[in-house]
Amino acid sequence: MKFLCIPCDSPMKLQTVGPPERGSLSVVYACPECGYEMAMLTNAYETQVVQSLGVRIGPEAAAGTSTATSVGVSGGKCPFSAMIPGTEDVKAGEPTPVRWTSGAEARLANIPEFVRPMARTGIEKFARERGALEVDETILDAARDFFGM
Amino acid sequence: MKGYHDIVGDGGSRVLEQVAEQRTRITDGLAGVRHLVAVGSGKGGVGKSTLTLHLAGALRARGLRVAILDADFNGPSQARMAGVQGALFVPGSHKVALPRTTNGIGVFSMGSMIPESESLEFESASHGESHTWRATREFALLGEILRAFEWGALDLLMFDLPPGAERTVQYADFLGPRTSFLLVTIPSEVARGVVARSVAALSKGPNRVLGYVENMSGYYCRDCNAVKPLFISPGSSNLEIPCLGTVPFDPELARHCDTGMPLAELPATPVGRALEKVAQQLLDSLEIDKEPRQ
Repeated sequence: MKFLCIPCDSPMKLQTVGPPERGSLSVVYACPECGYEMAMLTNAYETQVVQSLGVRIGPEAAAGTSTATSVGVSGGKCPFSAMIPGTEDVKAGEPTPVRWTSGAEARLANIPEFVRPMARTGIEKFARERGALEVDETILDAARDFFGM
Repeated sequence: MKGYHDIVGDGGSRVLEQVAEQRTRITDGLAGVRHLVAVGSGKGGVGKSTLTLHLAGALRARGLRVAILDADFNGPSQARMAGVQGALFVPGSHKVALPRTTNGIGVFSMGSMIPESESLEFESASHGESHTWRATREFALLGEILRAFEWGALDLLMFDLPPGAERTVQYADFLGPRTSFLLVTIPSEVARGVVARSVAALSKGPNRVLGYVENMSGYYCRDCNAVKPLFISPGSSNLEIPCLGTVPFDPELARHCDTGMPLAELPATPVGRALEKVAQQLLDSLEIDKEPRQ
């Protein structure tokens, strides 16, 4: 969808995206020539269609960053993160806290959000079973050798 | 006044660009995979998943590097059958290591993530209207999985498709022309009729249809050590695509599938020999080298 400022015959630029509220996004565009602003307010169906594509909408989307005005269409969260049930319950049952080194955390952060809770829980269990109370990259590599292709 | 096509870009939302970038990342992630083979049918309950797993096993036994992506997100069965229900998803440097079976087949299945007592749910802004967006979202999820996991250097990546002739074509569109299709039917006119619709639909696109496998072509009686008829079916199929083989039903194999335990003596059974023949036909049709990738 594109927006044109008719008096200026100039394409309008996306300015901000308000967080979804009751299924509606508030997307503000402005004309770079005259500064006129307009808001596109989506209905729930329109919001859902964009959300289903797994994309993010916001001025910073090009840089791949997330800011207050660059939210995922599902509210800044991974659109698939809600589909994995029971991760909180699993966490609640953990007997001993396991620390993560910054290197291991960085690797976890690199994988998609929808896999992250399961990966964290599983790796911590793997570490505990080996008597480790810290997950570092050595533990991750060992788990990968043990379970992965 | 300018029209839509006079304006470059979309003012900043970059929806189309993001979708294109997603597709590029999928292509890059699958660059090391020599062959993409989708196992479909159109008809449900014909044994697509069982056949996929055991064909993968036969190919793996030949030294090929094989992985399965269980694309039936709503009714995943590979996790249970392949014994990876408790698979651990391990972060690699940038992607997730693909869980593997004891015999070295990589398997992704939603069944490893979601217990069988739960259904696949998505966050939704619109309630009671899932028919308008659900398929789009499931394909976005498929794309996310293809981008997220390390497929690495594989000889074959097999997609275990959900039922539905229209779904089969949607997967062809999504996976692109690199993907070849293997269709599964059973000796019933009802099943063949549905598979024929899938063949007709796929024939309108660029994807290669390698042929079909007739599954449950009799059942293997262990007491008699013989294959007996299972369906009373007139004549052969008129699917007008090559038949890559027929595979009998083995209740013992089905029992092992339920428990996720491999059937050790499978290669020595009529079912195992039939799967071997299908595997060879599949390799011939894909023109895979005799020597597996090192």
